[in-house]
Amino acid sequence: MLRRIQLAPTLFALALGCSAAAQAGPLSVGDKAPDFTLPDQHGNKVHLGDFLGNKNVVLAFYVLAFTGG
Amino acid sequence: MIGISVDSSPANKVFAEQNGFTFPLLSDFKRTVSKEYGILNEEYGFANRATFVIDTDGIIRHIDKDRDAIDPSGAHAACSLLEHKKS
Repeated sequence: MLRRIQLAPTLFALALGCSAAAQAGPLSVGDKAPDFTLPDQHGNKVHLGDFLGNKNVVLAFYVLAFTGG
Repeated sequence: MIGISVDSSPANKVFAEQNGFTFPLLSDFKRTVSKEYGILNEEYGFANRATFVIDTDGIIRHIDKDRDAIDPSGAHAACSLLEHKKS
């Protein structure tokens, strides 16, 4: 009769368990460069990791081909 | 030196030939790398202009974005510094 289901603390604990996942911010100097493999203009796969260890890499993102970008 | 855009490989081939580029032009057709590097223009679906200098340990040593990335002197200076460190 007096027994009451105490839901409130349970719900509170669940809410804590659902805290936001860590969000990756934009890259900064000193960060590890995300690795990737992409095809070059000849269809060959280029892997960033293959350059590491012996060469510095300048990675230039350009807007679109044929735009002077 | 590696170039990256969201263009297809055939488009990059013509672009490289027209401009005499001998370095790789990579196709990020699926936009995954542009997104990972935080420079994907979500509204228009292409990568914004940016230059990253990455050292031999895979660590980013220099970043130029947008207008700054047009002028290669920043990236060039960063590369020279890294070369000096090696020797």
